[in-house]
Amino acid sequence: MTEPTVFDELFAKLTPDRILSDPRATGAGVTVAVIDSGVERSVLEAKFAAAAAPLLPIEGAVFAPTGPPAAYTGHQSSPHGTTVADIILTLAPGAKLYSADVFGPTGSCEVETVIAALRHAIDVWKVKVVNLSLGVPEHKLQQLPRRQQLLRAIEEAYFRDVLVFAAAHNEHPITRSFPAAFATPLISVDKGVFADPLQFAYRLHDHVEFQAHGRGYLGPFAREPATSWATPHLAGIAARVLSLKPDLKPFEIKTILYWMFRSRQGPAPAAP
Amino acid sequence: MSETVLIVDDEESVRRTFQEWLASSGLGVAVFAAADAESALRVASERPIDLAILDWNLGSGSDGLRLLEDIVEFQPDVVAILVTGFAGIATPLQALRMGVRDYLDKNADLNRETFLRSVRTQLDRIRPARHARALNRAATEFRAAVQNVLPLVRTAAAFNDPVPLPEAVRALLRFLIRATGATDGALIVRHLGADGAEALAAYNPAGEAHPAVGVAFSRSLAASVVSHQEPMLVSGPEVLADGAVELAAFEIGRASILAAPLPVGGGTSVVLELFDKPAPGFAPADRSLVGAATEIGADLLRHALAERQTSRLLFDAVDAALAASAGVSGAVPSAADLLPAAMEQLRAGLTADANAVADPETTLRLVEAVRALAVRHGPVAVEHCVRMVTDLRKLLDGITGVA
Repeated sequence: MTEPTVFDELFAKLTPDRILSDPRATGAGVTVAVIDSGVERSVLEAKFAAAAAPLLPIEGAVFAPTGPPAAYTGHQSSPHGTTVADIILTLAPGAKLYSADVFGPTGSCEVETVIAALRHAIDVWKVKVVNLSLGVPEHKLQQLPRRQQLLRAIEEAYFRDVLVFAAAHNEHPITRSFPAAFATPLISVDKGVFADPLQFAYRLHDHVEFQAHGRGYLGPFAREPATSWATPHLAGIAARVLSLKPDLKPFEIKTILYWMFRSRQGPAPAAP
Repeated sequence: MSETVLIVDDEESVRRTFQEWLASSGLGVAVFAAADAESALRVASERPIDLAILDWNLGSGSDGLRLLEDIVEFQPDVVAILVTGFAGIATPLQALRMGVRDYLDKNADLNRETFLRSVRTQLDRIRPARHARALNRAATEFRAAVQNVLPLVRTAAAFNDPVPLPEAVRALLRFLIRATGATDGALIVRHLGADGAEALAAYNPAGEAHPAVGVAFSRSLAASVVSHQEPMLVSGPEVLADGAVELAAFEIGRASILAAPLPVGGGTSVVLELFDKPAPGFAPADRSLVGAATEIGADLLRHALAERQTSRLLFDAVDAALAASAGVSGAVPSAADLLPAAMEQLRAGLTADANAVADPETTLRLVEAVRALAVRHGPVAVEHCVRMVTDLRKLLDGITGVA
């Protein structure tokens, strides 16, 4: 049996808790796109002002299946997106948030709209992290060309070092939710209930790899465990890690998240 | 309807002879006779006259050509045969302008055969023009009638709910209230029109509209559920409004709300809400039941909306056809005139249909191909076409593994 080296001592000090509690791990310098139902900016500004916490201005756009995006007026199309944004900013308050409202005027989430928003977030906003809590139901992707277009957009994000976190809508007994089912180039997230919102687990099943805290903090349904709330928790954790090393690639972040879970070997999450 | 012939001659024997020739000719025309200009004009003012057989010399200083001028005032499309003993005197050009298409010379060749030949020739020319005029008149009347009715139908449709809630969906809500043990429920319907106008309504289990929802959809509990795409439960002190969500009037004061979206699609969002199940409250089984039931409800709604969309496309197509026919003044609008406008309207309607799975051009190409098939080879060919499409779908399902 060999003696521990100085490196072993150094690595022993490198723990998930230490990384996440690093004072620099605030999400600062990390841009995050919330592709969702819009964000009610004034609600989050009021919440952060009440806590005397600084908040970077939230920008965004409203997307449609075709045509250029419309200007973001600081309003939500549905409360869902505001709850998601609140979770990310609760975990990574230094992050710069962009609201991509894909729920907007049509009142529904179409594949083409999600793709347009994803491309805009990568090309125009140059974001590092994309949160996709709004899934696209499988029936909207029965046409293979549509499914391929979405997969291509997700792959494009991967090859441009953009991390995409997608909610796994695993409530439904038969259908799968996309793009979470494209697990390889993105990080798919299931829900769990953890004592600490910074805890998460690697639980591979049915194309879904991670499990994160499924409860939010804002809105009547926030306390209801949901993959929609679990996804921004993991995105927020990734933003904290990225503020320490902003140039990490998606597979590196995935590996780090996996390592963090294995290092903790923390308590198994309670059933939601 | 038979043609009408007016005979005008001051000689009673001539009138009677012409009437007898026509009666025995088998031409099937209605015949009226007049001895002078005054009687002739009275007849012409009372009924349509297709052919006038006029004596050149009507006595008392009047002549057939002048009478024809007066008859044209009542019957602008009348055609005339002039009977004269002085054919050389008549001014052919002037007579032609007045509608005279033939002369019969009393002194030369006027007999039963030449008379009937001349009449038959004119009737052969009159009949198609008369048919076209009748068709044009009918088309004009039809156009006027549709123009009058269409706004009424549109207005009636506008008064209807933008989203037709079939009774079955309301029954589904009542069933879920009973099955879960909830004390009350509501259906919230939000529809975005093609012009972006939002209509928001809510109904109680009896199908009656709540007087006022009292909250914008974007800040409502219902919108939150639509975004979740699955049933959501909120209970206890959590049923409170905060900055991001406001409660509708019928949600305020509830102890628990189990809400689920009906994924209808397009610009329509429908949410079903169940309220206040007594202790121990809503269970996971209730949530599963509501989830399954809303899928059935969504199917019912999609069918109802598809029917509404079909009616709307039909209205628009008729509207476009009317607009096209208005530009074809004085002529019967042909299918070639109407089809492009109607197809353009159909294209616009399909583009506006958010539920469409294929682009409008592809849909129209398919519609046109099936229409051409039906016109050329009949309904059997269309049936065969349907079978081919079904077989293709099965083949592709097999290749792609789609159930």
